Amino acid sequence: MATMAHPDNDMPARPNIAKAGLQLPAVKDYEQVDREIMATLRPSKGWFLCLLVAIFCLIIGGLAWTYQIHEGLGVAGYNPPVMWGVYIVTFVFWIGIGHAGTLISAILYLFRAGFRTTIYRCAEAMTVFAVMTAGLFPILHLGRPWKFFWLIPYPNWRLIWPNFKSPLVWDVFAISTYLTISTTFLFIGLIPDVATLRDAEKNPIKKQILSALSFGWRNSEAEWRHFARAYLFLAAFSTPLVLSVHSIVSFDFAMSLVPGWHTTIFAPYFVAGAIFSGMGMVFTIIIPIRKLFKLQHYVTLNHLDAGAKLCLFTSMVVGCAYLVEFFIGWYGGSPVEQQYWWNRVFGQWWWAAWIMLTCNMILPLSLFSQSLRRNPSWLFFLSFFINIGMWFERFVIIVPGLSHEYEPWQWTSYTPTFVDYSILIGSFGWFFMWFLLFIRQLPVLAISEIKEIVPPKLKRAHPGADFHADTPGDHA
Amino acid sequence: MIQGMLGAFKELDATVDAIEALKKDRTGEITVYTPTPRHELEHAVHPAVSPVRKFTLAGGLFGACAGYWIAIWCSNYWPLVVGGKAISTWIPFTVFSFELMVLVGGLSTVAGLFICAGIPRLTMTVGYDGRFSHGDYGVWVQCAPEKLKDAEAILRRCGAVEVHGAQ
Repeated sequence: MATMAHPDNDMPARPNIAKAGLQLPAVKDYEQVDREIMATLRPSKGWFLCLLVAIFCLIIGGLAWTYQIHEGLGVAGYNPPVMWGVYIVTFVFWIGIGHAGTLISAILYLFRAGFRTTIYRCAEAMTVFAVMTAGLFPILHLGRPWKFFWLIPYPNWRLIWPNFKSPLVWDVFAISTYLTISTTFLFIGLIPDVATLRDAEKNPIKKQILSALSFGWRNSEAEWRHFARAYLFLAAFSTPLVLSVHSIVSFDFAMSLVPGWHTTIFAPYFVAGAIFSGMGMVFTIIIPIRKLFKLQHYVTLNHLDAGAKLCLFTSMVVGCAYLVEFFIGWYGGSPVEQQYWWNRVFGQWWWAAWIMLTCNMILPLSLFSQSLRRNPSWLFFLSFFINIGMWFERFVIIVPGLSHEYEPWQWTSYTPTFVDYSILIGSFGWFFMWFLLFIRQLPVLAISEIKEIVPPKLKRAHPGADFHADTPGDHA
Repeated sequence: MIQGMLGAFKELDATVDAIEALKKDRTGEITVYTPTPRHELEHAVHPAVSPVRKFTLAGGLFGACAGYWIAIWCSNYWPLVVGGKAISTWIPFTVFSFELMVLVGGLSTVAGLFICAGIPRLTMTVGYDGRFSHGDYGVWVQCAPEKLKDAEAILRRCGAVEVHGAQ
């Protein structure tokens, strides 16, 4: 590894300003960027161990699903009228994680936030694999999963006609559009980096594969010009797409008449929750990566600090939404709503509600402390609680609403079974398996974008005299 | 037969100097290779605005219209009749139209990138060198045979670490 200063001990600076010396003081030249980021592609024991754990979790989920197909959906913990349980909770959880990645990448790109550069590749990959994970759950819900194509809304001979006024139909189109655009966004951003890998590759077979994947990219100024323009437009499309998709997911609930669901606050509440949970997952992923691959001088404490501020802000938005929900329940004057809220916080589901409130509202307040924002161990620890809290947020929205509707016969309980938990574990195995395979094959940090913020070599010793290297980071 | 001259540079300002000198001399058509986009090179080359935006606009408009059209046509052809409610209503169909606008607009942007940048490319272009994706800058000037000597001289004078002709 190159000789470096100790950026971790650097004084807190203005991390949102895209200046090379400020962002990555220990990265000196382009060759160093290539060498150190490509080193992450070498297999290591830690990576292999993590992959084994992920595959083991996936096998647990796969066995549970096989058992469920054999025995029927009764082995899951459904208890009418609670017919949406852990599966839909986990579906919304992964959709939320998935929405944050592209939002972090696209919106921070549009706002020229400098700290985006070193975290966005992770966030985009996280998006694609999280949406792939979420996409499994509508199929896992089925008693006969081989008939999954019946779910696709198209006019057919079964006389099931698409209702374009239904949020569930919007959801199908929104999520499939989102998966397509997110994957495209990730892949387009990867093309120049794959070309860099291609040019460094010695193995002829691998070189051929990388040549095909890079589409013959050759780094000409004209290619970069079209690339920057296309990337900008994709970011501009992705940002409102994310807002629309998670709003539509929230409409799946908000357009029903179930107590606690029928509220106009759901769309912004879900979007803020998605960014919050996504930042939590980014921390869960990026902190071990920077440690294992010795990338502390790329993902510096300034980057983590800026990410933690975003996390704190979205936590407060989510917390505010929780409090406004209570207020709406009280101020609306509906006894059913009021009973639902009481039952949710102090009654049957108090434990789930307080886990959610503690993890999502109280613990993130620690990020007001600058020393904790700049402490990777604390951020990693906190990210686990954020993930747990956000899973419980979806649980608290879905299960208490269904278990305490308008009439006493609808008042019931719900207990997940080992099948539910196994499939939940399996979903994490599926997600991390893909992510680990990704980081083994493709650069986990964006090589070409990091080079943009590294000062270029100059012939003249004092560039200010007659040559001025532009401020990096604004190549749109 | 040699088609042009390639200069490899280590420094950004030297590359800019070479581009400006070649343009001033009207030596030939210049292609610049750079490991990362730099404004300095863009200013020196001074290219036309990328037409990718036209693909984006056309795709976005087509997607939005197609979204409305599919929803209205399907709803009228396979009607779900609910008393007191119109079969085709533009407010919920706007959601569908928006999603298709983003989908078609995004994909046509990528198509625009591919068309404008000339990718996928099956073979490497004359003048390209693998080092241009790592740390070096390249200036390839395609010119008439009688201009090759001038091009070589300019590239060397501006600080190219390596200059050679290519076919």
